[in-house]
Amino acid sequence: MTEPYAVPVPRGYRVGVWEVREPLATGAFGSVYEAGRTADAVAADGVELPRTAALKFLPTGTGTPRQLAHLRELIDREVELYRRLKRPRLIRMYDSITVDDPGRPELDGATVLVLEKAERSLSALLADAPRPAGGAALLAQICEGLAQLHRAGWVHGDLKPANVLLMKDGSARLADFNMAAEMEGTHAYTPAFSTPDYTPPELLWSEIGERGRRIRPSADVWAFGVLAHLVLTDSFPLPGGTPTARRDAAAAYARGTDELRLSPELPAAWREIVRRCLARTHADRVTTDDLLRQVEAAAGSGRSPRLPRTLLPHRRSRRTTVGAAVAATVAVAVLGYGISAWTGSGADGEEPGGSGSQKVTAATYGAAELRTDKGVPAAYRRLIVDSAHDCVQPEVTPALIAAILKAESNFDPDLSDPGTGEYGIARWTPGILRWYIRGDGLPAEETPRPPITPAESIPAVGRYLCFMEPRLDATGLSGDRRVLLAAAYRTSTKKVNAAGGVPPNVHDYATRVAHYLKEYTPPDRK
Amino acid sequence: MYSIIVVPPPTTEDDPNRTQRRLAPGERLVFGRSTRHANDLIVPHDGVSRRAGVISAQGAFWTLSNLSGGQTYVVENPEGAGEHIKVGPGRLDAPVPFEFSRIVLPAAGDLLPIEVWAPRHDYLRGEEYGDGDTTTPAFSVDRTKRYFAVLAALCEPRLRGEPHAPLPTVEQVVERLRPNWPAASRTSVQWNIDYLAVKLRLKPGPETADTGPRLNGKKESLVSLALRFDLVREDDLVVLTAPAPRGTR
Repeated sequence: MTEPYAVPVPRGYRVGVWEVREPLATGAFGSVYEAGRTADAVAADGVELPRTAALKFLPTGTGTPRQLAHLRELIDREVELYRRLKRPRLIRMYDSITVDDPGRPELDGATVLVLEKAERSLSALLADAPRPAGGAALLAQICEGLAQLHRAGWVHGDLKPANVLLMKDGSARLADFNMAAEMEGTHAYTPAFSTPDYTPPELLWSEIGERGRRIRPSADVWAFGVLAHLVLTDSFPLPGGTPTARRDAAAAYARGTDELRLSPELPAAWREIVRRCLARTHADRVTTDDLLRQVEAAAGSGRSPRLPRTLLPHRRSRRTTVGAAVAATVAVAVLGYGISAWTGSGADGEEPGGSGSQKVTAATYGAAELRTDKGVPAAYRRLIVDSAHDCVQPEVTPALIAAILKAESNFDPDLSDPGTGEYGIARWTPGILRWYIRGDGLPAEETPRPPITPAESIPAVGRYLCFMEPRLDATGLSGDRRVLLAAAYRTSTKKVNAAGGVPPNVHDYATRVAHYLKEYTPPDRK
Repeated sequence: MYSIIVVPPPTTEDDPNRTQRRLAPGERLVFGRSTRHANDLIVPHDGVSRRAGVISAQGAFWTLSNLSGGQTYVVENPEGAGEHIKVGPGRLDAPVPFEFSRIVLPAAGDLLPIEVWAPRHDYLRGEEYGDGDTTTPAFSVDRTKRYFAVLAALCEPRLRGEPHAPLPTVEQVVERLRPNWPAASRTSVQWNIDYLAVKLRLKPGPETADTGPRLNGKKESLVSLALRFDLVREDDLVVLTAPAPRGTR
């Protein structure tokens, strides 16, 4: 580290239960230190805190010499994302603490994020070992993180090697969400900061409004294309010896006056992927979900000839995420990053279908969380279980989604109620469904028209519940939170918050959901 | 993605709404008198060559080619206290380093100015040098330029601790800046406000934002953007009191 630390913190400094040890890294906005836990403590969500963590010090408080409005905003963004999103491929925040230490004006009032500690960053790895052997597998994990972020409706806004962290087990996670923003329709607004080499051409000199610059998920897709090219070939996709030259090359390419000339070292499968990420306009870029499929295919098959065949994923369709992640991990382990115990996709809870070559029939899919003997049609089990698993909120369970479907339509896929404007197995109002029908978090171009299939309805229910969970008041609501979610599905989170529980007009509905919820939940899961 | 803006000379009708031309890196604009040659910008004056010159955008800066038979073009930095470069006849692709410039075409006793703005020039902010891997702000302002003094004057009431203070009028800005900038006028301050809107990439683009009554909305947007992204801080207000770095006397 040659650069000065943005926030100097002495060794041994105490923040809450944490004692600062080594400096780890510094950026433009804050500095990160390793810290050890000095007492037993649990995080706000009841999870036991790890022995060591990374503390990110962000100066903002009243004691700092200048109150910088934009710093405050950047911190709020990061804390908000960490509070709202917990995904296996995103670095996790355990706590956020405000320093109260008038004796140290430079630290007093600073915000400290208690984060999962990583081994190092991808940029440090690339500096030590350009073109790392496990590069393709790492890229698959980075892409997975991006997909998790985009599905939840957020844009990262500053994807680059320094913001990809590698854990002790060799797996990759995304970090540094200062620029991240939640989507509002097709766009999000991010502060007007960016890293030139990873900025898509349409944002290079984009107009900036008072809310910041408008950014789409396709900006992250462009950055991923640059990052993939860098990891696999140790060079940037656009020519030039300086960031300025590369920026001009990007501008010329985007205007159509120049062609994309990717490095000949790029393997054929990746050539196509990078090309799709680096399409000239945002509209032509590959969507995150399609990208993830292509990246997993490229990382899982062609690039890992050394993988034992038995460890390769067999299952297809929606659960390829799990399979490819397993393959990716194995690749990392084989290639010598060192790996301890790492389970499947890292998703919360057990994997319903197991992993590897074990086959599971539809009738018993997700049996650990959704009873098989209570009349949930086998045809929908996979959709229900997978949709619940796509949501990180523990309240959104397969049994809850099944109970809602039962109460809404009695599992009738052809339900059509023009009187209330509700259609399909989940009684979707098409105008609302539009916002949740797409897996990438974007609203559909047009309002869907009935008939609405279960394959469209059920994942959208999972997404809608997942969206609403953090919007229900954290305290002051009476009743089972899952039932409250169902009531909000029928009415809205506002009405439930205003009523302080289940609104009276949906009382019967909530009672039915509660009944089926109990019935569908396996006994040991209560 | 344009990086260079060319403002043509006023026409004989003295048309105030001169159409600005925007050039992206790699694009060229050929100017001259003739309507038969492939001129992108026609300068209808008998003293100008049929094919007089070429302006090419190169990244954040631009180059000038002098295609005339015998005239030397002067490119002035209007804020440079006389700073200028000369581009002799036949010189191709002479690089111009100024953020804003005026090409003066000597034309039979008249001097025809073509203004060229290069709002994408970068300036060091703080101690960091962007190496392409650092997260950097999207704005880059030159704190020694007049536009920065104008911006500081606009932001001053709010930076002095009155978050909802009314913005100074253009006349008040002129008064505020006059001690350090004796030549300040309503027109020059408005010119700087228009330029800031381009520089900070304010919506809407300058084609739709003509000078006049709508200026108030533009000032308001400039100030809120500048304060939100800390382009002007309280300690920058010294530019309003200290002698101008390169004042015209």
